[in-house]
Amino acid sequence: MATPPPREHTRTSDLRLVLHQVRYEQKAFWINKVGALFTIGFSVLFLVMLGATDGKQTISYLGNITNDDYYVPGFIAYGIMSACFSMLTINIVNRRESGLLKRLRLTPLPTWALLVSIFISTAIVAIVQVIVLLLIGRLGYAVPFPREWLAFVVVLVVGIASFTAMGMAVSSVIPNQETAGPVTSVAFFVLLFLSGLWFPLQASSGLAKFSNFFPVRHLLLAVRAPFEQQPGLSPWAWHDLGIVAAWGVVAAIVATRRFRWAPRRA
Amino acid sequence: MSSLSVTSLNKSYGKLHAVRDVSFEVARGDVFALLGPNGAGKTTTIEILEGFLKRDSGDVRVLGVDPGVHANQRWLRSRVGVVLQELAVEAFFTVREVLERNAGFYREPRAVDEVIELVGLREKADVKVKMLSGGQQRRLDIGLGIIGNPLLLFLDEPTTGLDPAARRMTWDLIRTLSDQGTTVMLSSHYMDEVEALARHVVVLAKGRVAASGTPSSLGGRDLGKVAISFTLPSSVAVTDLPVTPSCCQGQRVEISTECELEVLARLTSWALAKDVQLVGLCVMRQTLEDVYLGLTRESLTSSEEVRS
Repeated sequence: MATPPPREHTRTSDLRLVLHQVRYEQKAFWINKVGALFTIGFSVLFLVMLGATDGKQTISYLGNITNDDYYVPGFIAYGIMSACFSMLTINIVNRRESGLLKRLRLTPLPTWALLVSIFISTAIVAIVQVIVLLLIGRLGYAVPFPREWLAFVVVLVVGIASFTAMGMAVSSVIPNQETAGPVTSVAFFVLLFLSGLWFPLQASSGLAKFSNFFPVRHLLLAVRAPFEQQPGLSPWAWHDLGIVAAWGVVAAIVATRRFRWAPRRA
Repeated sequence: MSSLSVTSLNKSYGKLHAVRDVSFEVARGDVFALLGPNGAGKTTTIEILEGFLKRDSGDVRVLGVDPGVHANQRWLRSRVGVVLQELAVEAFFTVREVLERNAGFYREPRAVDEVIELVGLREKADVKVKMLSGGQQRRLDIGLGIIGNPLLLFLDEPTTGLDPAARRMTWDLIRTLSDQGTTVMLSSHYMDEVEALARHVVVLAKGRVAASGTPSSLGGRDLGKVAISFTLPSSVAVTDLPVTPSCCQGQRVEISTECELEVLARLTSWALAKDVQLVGLCVMRQTLEDVYLGLTRESLTSSEEVRS
């Protein structure tokens, strides 16, 4: 009586399932042109505008690098965070509250496959942004590519994974669609501002000490390290990378405990 | 093998005993209706069958398999279609895109064009979901429920909010699916819908099975009294009738009886012999709605008596 049904899926069929879902996640992202523009266009717009205004000024307390040298890694970090954190949070809350996640759960698409697909799709958006920003920096403002590519790739992987986990965790505590946009945007922009995205912070300043509690400043620093051209400075910002990863791990624990599929009933 | 079998199912939420000792069986290809007022245990039962809720006790088999066992769920999800009451389809995709997306989740899905045809959305196939009317979205939702070619389909109030033509279309679709061997578990508040579609009905009230049977025999409906009514011409007095009426309103006469054939025979032969017109002659059996209301009202009062 209690014989289990035969296992029908294989590793290949599961992989095909994930790729299928990634295709539709991507389609859904690019179909919404305003959303895509906001996610990708913002970082590009900021970089172009700031670079055009005071890009050639040097920053004395950061080894006399130019503002452009500072902004390119900064907006790469911003791009990762906006795709993996703000965009993802709003996307998950909207889909959950409108019942779309619940509906997907009724299909044979396994939970892990849906989450992996969302992660891959988010990472694609983040990586597209990183490439665009690197090219603008190089071609437009003569900012060299990272000196140490391996370090840069490791930072991307840790950053994308950790901020995706944070996006998932925050989405699970946001109650409804109406608050998702404002809450994430305000929290995100305040932290970006305090972390020195638009103006460089001196490491000893009170603001830097405050924003050191949060992962945003650490990702900014971790992304900049592989770009350092001065000999003697390590391209690996282990300390910052470690703090970002720690936030990621805590967020992942919160997300797995609190993640909801169905909208909250009134 | 039956598609669904539930034996002595129990489920409580704290002190609330939501489902008590519920049993029923649904044969393959049947349209089965689970009825009951809100709070009767309908949703709890269905969510246990769908594998979303754990039961406290009892045995449940869906397509021969226990939905409460996590390892069975993926197997079941590829064979069971579920259409929920709330609509939820990505608004920015076209009808075809959404169906193609979901078709990709199944091993042997129905052809997308076949489903588009079945739910009557051929003209809207390449239109974005947000441009569809409420009824069209509801039909697309049913389309998503059947795209995986399920053996069993849960339909929760599939025609709520539809216009009469769209309702009839959905009924035809449900009949077609049933003819093709799909078992359909229907929940609905429209008794005409249940009567038109369901082969078997279970009525839940206060967590228990209040009655079960075919729609035409539910609650002794086929054996109960029949109301014969007509209007007598003003020239004929009610006292002249060959049978005693149960109630009269002016010249309108109603006779309530269990032997409707005999009463009708006496009445009509008398009318023919006397050349009397029986205007608006009507023979009425209790409607399914009457029976349903009777069953669920009874359970409400009896449980209140227990409490006091």
